[in-house]
Amino acid sequence: MAKNGEPDYDQVGDEGECKVKIICLGDSAVGKSKLVERFLMDGYKPQQLSTYALTLFNYKTEVNKQKVLVDFWDTAGQERFNNMHPSYYHQAHACILVFDTTRKVTYKNLPLWLKELREYRPEIPCLCCANKIDVDYNVTKKSFGFAKKQRMPFYFVSASDGTNVVKMFNDAIRAAVAYKNDSTDFMDEIMRELENFELETDSGSQTLDDKKDNVSESGLESSKNKDNDDDDSDVKS
Amino acid sequence: MDEIEIQKCGVKFDPPGIVVVYNEKCSNKQRRRTMPLRDFTKNTNVEKATQDLLSHPRHGKYVSLITKAQLVRLVTIVRDKLNGMSLEASLARNDALDKIDPEENLNTVDEETLKRKKAVMDKTFEKHQVKPDDPDFKYDVEVEFDENNVIESGWDSEEGSDMEF
Ligand SMILES: Nc1nc2c(ncn2[C@@H]2O[C@H](COP(=O)(O)OP(=O)(O)O)[C@@H](O)[C@H]2O)c(=O)[nH]1
Ligand SMILES: [Mg+2]
Repeated sequence: MAKNGEPDYDQVGDEGECKVKIICLGDSAVGKSKLVERFLMDGYKPQQLSTYALTLFNYKTEVNKQKVLVDFWDTAGQERFNNMHPSYYHQAHACILVFDTTRKVTYKNLPLWLKELREYRPEIPCLCCANKIDVDYNVTKKSFGFAKKQRMPFYFVSASDGTNVVKMFNDAIRAAVAYKNDSTDFMDEIMRELENFELETDSGSQTLDDKKDNVSESGLESSKNKDNDDDDSDVKS
Repeated sequence: MDEIEIQKCGVKFDPPGIVVVYNEKCSNKQRRRTMPLRDFTKNTNVEKATQDLLSHPRHGKYVSLITKAQLVRLVTIVRDKLNGMSLEASLARNDALDKIDPEENLNTVDEETLKRKKAVMDKTFEKHQVKPDDPDFKYDVEVEFDENNVIESGWDSEEGSDMEF
């Protein structure tokens, strides 16, 4: 334990496990806590960090035969007034950005959350999910450009009926471990698996219809986007 | 509980209380039950008063047949009255608290409002929830959604957005 009673993720676990920290970010009431609860199900006793009123859940798993101790951090409502304590971000290895498909404002606020995250953790893998799809499944027939624009894996999920929750968290864990192990292509790997991801970027002037055409052609084989991390257009015409 | 069915619920101001009208199935009789809110003042915490009622040895089984959101609403109306608010004003305020506005930023509302909004959201959450003891329960539910036949959500293309497309 480091100062303030916070775990130190630079240390390995008692049995040599890899320790990672995963955080969820997003507006109040988008379902961050419910998603973590759904993934962990019952029987997980959270640990309270009294200093900052943050909650964390320990979870044991394995990634590629490597033992992993995951801490999922949850807020006790500090996302209100956009007032996350820096310790929430400290040493995080992956982040899940959540919005609520029934409330547009929560989608519109995603860039603010991402911006804050990047101030503390410029490099960590970040996944994006659209929660509460159970309210109206038609939402899954719609496109949300944010994740694609930011080159993040995107998931339609429901903490209520469980859709894609386990898959998303497992991907987040893999990304966190890969990040910690300094692996360079972890995100590409996840991206490639999610068929909906497009590596090429579009120029700002293109319409969304044009984009759609590109999706089918772009393929997902390349990881060249590393050099192409800004918004320069790279679409072959 | 199958033997009773709630038909109406309401409030009583003096002394403060919650009232339910229910049908007792075995006798097919309509009954009315008044449940006092003990030591209830204008400063009482609504959440706690609601919880006390729900865990009350005799009243608990009746109030647990009302949704939590509705029970909280009733208790709030009683408290508003003790704070000198007119019934009309209180109803209007409570209607606003019970409405989910997709444009409303819940990061900046007070604690009470956030709790109320979450209680309303809980209704759908619980309705759609698949629990471990449900025969259809699966821990890992993976569903792929067709990305190719999508239409624009319309959430990206608006003025004043922080994102540039
Ligand atoms: N219908 C539905 N409701 C949800 C879902 N996830 C969360 N909710 C509701 O949204 C509210 C806020 O969830 P919570 O996890 O507390 O959000 P947080 O503030 O982001 O941690 C809760 O009252 C839930 O009932 C979901 O997948 N479907
Ligand atoms: Mg929460």
